[in-house]
Amino acid sequence: METDGQSDSKRGGQNRLVLGPNDSLEGKLTYGGSMTVDGGHAEGEFRVGGNIDIGNGTVVKALLEASNVTIKGEVEGKLTARDKLTLGKQAKLNGDVQVRRLQIEDGASLNGYVRMGEFEQQAPGS
Amino acid sequence: MLGPRDRVIGQIYIEGDLRVGGVVEGEVEVTGDVEIDDMAKVKASLAGRDVTIRGHVNGAVVARKRLVVAKSGSLFGDVRVARLAIQDGATFSGKVSMGAGAATAPVKAVEAPTPVPESEPKAATEVEKPATPIVAVPLVAAPKVTPPAIIKTAAPAPVAELRVAGKDGKGKPVAPPIKGKPNKKKRR
Repeated sequence: METDGQSDSKRGGQNRLVLGPNDSLEGKLTYGGSMTVDGGHAEGEFRVGGNIDIGNGTVVKALLEASNVTIKGEVEGKLTARDKLTLGKQAKLNGDVQVRRLQIEDGASLNGYVRMGEFEQQAPGS
Repeated sequence: MLGPRDRVIGQIYIEGDLRVGGVVEGEVEVTGDVEIDDMAKVKASLAGRDVTIRGHVNGAVVARKRLVVAKSGSLFGDVRVARLAIQDGATFSGKVSMGAGAATAPVKAVEAPTPVPESEPKAATEVEKPATPIVAVPLVAAPKVTPPAIIKTAAPAPVAELRVAGKDGKGKPVAPPIKGKPNKKKRR
């Protein structure tokens, strides 16, 4: 696991946690910054203040909660996007989803309930 | 094509494509593609090959090939599709069943025979009707079970119901546009 201090986060000055191919994270994570899983192993419950990106070919089994979630790999688990969820062309998502906005590219696969709209305040880490 | 001022309440079964610009309530089954335009308000279950939603839809959707919910579209209802695209800005709530298992298998079963006899896909959608529209499993068995003869008798039936429904429902203004159009709708 490594934290990429200088961070290319859109929200300026936020930290970004990057899990590369040799990294592994299992358990419960509450994090103020953003998170990227690209080839690494991730399993558990991740609630972050920023965004979550799941790279191509990455398999994640976790409950995810973030502002923006972008999935290009595979995700199994409940997902909450306080702002937007994007499923890329090769994304696979199995699980119920609560989002404010949703974009699914043709080719993506989704199985689960989708709830959309404004939702009750769910502070990260609650 | 149902224009912005047209209204249908009841069951529609169309061999060919359908484009809706107005109000539809009930059940819609189309062998070809379905397009729901910006201003359209649909409170119905929809079944079609490619389904594109730019207006309001409230009801279950079965797309044997692909469902697209465009920027301006909103869809509330459960969805069973082979492929799904939702553009940013669209509104969608409901259960999505996709890909693996029931959804893909019938799609292939239906699409494969399409070029040969046109009756088979019709039969497939026809059989679907009595069951919940979301249930895609019967599609597999459908082509074998239903002989073409049934289609001839089955096809006019929804039209008749349409007229009846128009009378109890929102009445006279509904009927004429429907009577005039079935021929145009059956493009293929």
